[in-house]
Amino acid sequence: MLGVISSLAIISAIPIFAIIINIYSEGARHLTLNFLIDLPPPPVSGKSGGIGPALVGSLILTLLAVAIGGSIGFFTGLYLSEFSHTRLAHYTQIFLQIMVEFPTIIIGLFAYMVLVAPLKRFNALAGAFALSIVIIPYIALNVREAYRSIPYTLKEAAFSLGVSAPIAYLRILLSTARRGVLTALLIGMAKAAGETAPLLLTILGTTFTYFGGLDQPINAIPLLIYNFALSPYERWHQVAWGAAAVLLTITLMIFIISRLVVREVKV
Amino acid sequence: MKSGRIFYTILFFFVFTSLLIVVGVVTSLTVTSYPIFSRDGLSFIFKSTWNPVKEDYSILPALLGTLITSAIAISISTPLAISLAVFSIEIVPSKFRAFINNISDLMASLPSVIYGLWGLYVLAPILHQYVMMPLHHYLGFIPLFSTKPIPTNLFTAGVLLAIMIIPFASSVIREAYNAVPYYLKEAAYSLGMTKWEAIKTMLGYIKSAIFAGIFLALGRAMGETMAVAMVVGNTFTFPKSLFDMGYTISSLIANQFPNAEAYNYMIPALYGGAFILFIVGLAINLAGLYWIKKVMIKS
Amino acid sequence: MNWAIEVNNLNVWYGDKHVIKNVSFKVPKNIIFAVMGPSGCGKSTLLRAMNRLLELNPYARVEGQVKINGIDVYSDNVDITWVRRQFGMVFQIPNPFPHLSIYENVALGPKLNGLVKDRSELDELVKQALQQAYLWDEVKNDLKKPASMLSGGQQQRLCIARALALKPKIILMDEPTANLDPVASSKIEELMLELKEEYTIIIVTHNPQQAARISDYVAFLYMGELIEIGETSMVFTRPRNALTEKYVVGRMG
Repeated sequence: MLGVISSLAIISAIPIFAIIINIYSEGARHLTLNFLIDLPPPPVSGKSGGIGPALVGSLILTLLAVAIGGSIGFFTGLYLSEFSHTRLAHYTQIFLQIMVEFPTIIIGLFAYMVLVAPLKRFNALAGAFALSIVIIPYIALNVREAYRSIPYTLKEAAFSLGVSAPIAYLRILLSTARRGVLTALLIGMAKAAGETAPLLLTILGTTFTYFGGLDQPINAIPLLIYNFALSPYERWHQVAWGAAAVLLTITLMIFIISRLVVREVKV
Repeated sequence: MKSGRIFYTILFFFVFTSLLIVVGVVTSLTVTSYPIFSRDGLSFIFKSTWNPVKEDYSILPALLGTLITSAIAISISTPLAISLAVFSIEIVPSKFRAFINNISDLMASLPSVIYGLWGLYVLAPILHQYVMMPLHHYLGFIPLFSTKPIPTNLFTAGVLLAIMIIPFASSVIREAYNAVPYYLKEAAYSLGMTKWEAIKTMLGYIKSAIFAGIFLALGRAMGETMAVAMVVGNTFTFPKSLFDMGYTISSLIANQFPNAEAYNYMIPALYGGAFILFIVGLAINLAGLYWIKKVMIKS
Repeated sequence: MNWAIEVNNLNVWYGDKHVIKNVSFKVPKNIIFAVMGPSGCGKSTLLRAMNRLLELNPYARVEGQVKINGIDVYSDNVDITWVRRQFGMVFQIPNPFPHLSIYENVALGPKLNGLVKDRSELDELVKQALQQAYLWDEVKNDLKKPASMLSGGQQQRLCIARALALKPKIILMDEPTANLDPVASSKIEELMLELKEEYTIIIVTHNPQQAARISDYVAFLYMGELIEIGETSMVFTRPRNALTEKYVVGRMG
């Protein structure tokens, strides 16, 4: 029976290795500087091309999402930790736990109603807004953990220095909890960089323009992978594999950094 | 005093914003889908047509697609997730434990579009050739396998979902298993149990956590969009076998939304589908959270 | 007489639980005032009610007066951060900020409160505080190292230096030696005797011998009530209350 368990466990881990190997074997040869900055190739031609617009778009969207979702999530998490006795914190916590499990496409529908329909145009801001909402609960719940893990006696020490609440929480104790907070932001960043469904309903996905303003459509790497993979053109399938290799590399990098951060906490 | 006040006001503002967003999401679903429910009532849920030209929409085939793919995913992933959790705690040498857990966490953090791409071009052809064709050939008389399969269909989507949700169920089970009090372990072995018998006892002890893990994973499976949209076939038919091409609610939204603005009732219909998905998902996640709470009270 | 601190009719509740019951006393300047009593009697709560650190606990409610230099710390127009700066506090578990260096631990308070004009003044203040805490000679070459590398006793003296660097009038000590070995404890006690020349020290202890060794005045707190207060020599030789007597001869936990 132990043998059966072991084999099942190993089977369940096979796909991740297969995915990494397949993606790099199909996509690694695209990992050149030109691929990262060029426009996509025309669908039927042997010309070289890249994912420049999508990469630029992903950077803009991810940074915006981390800035917006990060600040809302951070302060919400701080509140949940330090005012956990309040009814507001109690209900917010339950809401956020449910929100983590929201299908992200539903968040896309919300962003569409709030920022796309009124402007009558797919736009980058709506995409960033949707991604922010996706990551808020992740950031809030992890920041809460980070602040909760500070020993109470250190909180007392901070306040005994006669500093105001913002200085105690945001200067002294934030540096105590900084690894946890950083991990929270990294998790949020990885989510924002890889999330696709809400973008489908908000940014449309331009193919040949880099960035035309926050009120204009924009592209993102995951959306490009989806669109190109389902396109009928073999040349674009190749670009999708290359883009997947880029996205996988970004994900792996964030993952490894966050693991290193956590490991240092334990020392 | 003053800076304190301002600080609390800012905190309160952000918390309120978080709450407002949740409320806003639910409200936008309700309000936008209202026209389709007021026009069609429950027949929006229980018919099986999707005809934009006649503005005739219903959600049942997609809902069934969601249920079928999730059911496939859960039945495959549950034994795998339990095994992975038990393996990492009881079987693997302790110095590799962190590695296994990292692998599991990495599986959870891969973007779903990467699963989708791999599912479409690697998994689907393999399943088609080595699993679905043989099943259809030898067991085609069973209705479940009666359709002559092409690579992208409900079954492929279910298997891909299974792969994707293993780490979610597994990590919930892993945490609960780790939290089993040491004296229970000692008691099990002191009764002369073999390792497998002890494991079975432990798994019995954390039953609620296993349910919680399964339900949370089920919630993920039902809401997953991109990976499914890439392998499910995106065809609006009433599913008769596992090998039919189909839709799930979320992949229906992903696939149909880009042309929805051209019609009068398609946007309400898609929001209506999302509303139903939300309600079903909420029920399932609340059940999962309920079981997690039960575990926490116990330990 | 000019008192360091006056406590009038102080009451504290945690939720419905009445933990400090109508306590009043006055503490003269430049002495060591000990509050002793069995664990759970409300000593630590009493201490935290003085510098309003108790307000970190959302379930705590305070009534009554605590006056320093005639100013009630609980009156509406008093700034809570000002109150806390009047006190330096040392805790039961040595709690330097583990990720900060030895220097930064001491410098943090003055820096955040704007007590110094420039770096050299800060350096001087840090040095002074560490010297006053008997720690300078042991750490002067390691100022940049993390506080977590110090021994328990050194960490506690670092915490004393951190408190002193705020230039407080009163030092509150919550069982400062409870988690230290005897050698480190006696070092802290020596230090306290030195510090009372400049500061007023209020120490909470569950150990009557310690109160007897170091304090000038002592209060005995039992189940939230102030049972007895007076000069230490009097309380220990001729206690007026039977409970106090039982406690000081060690027949009560």
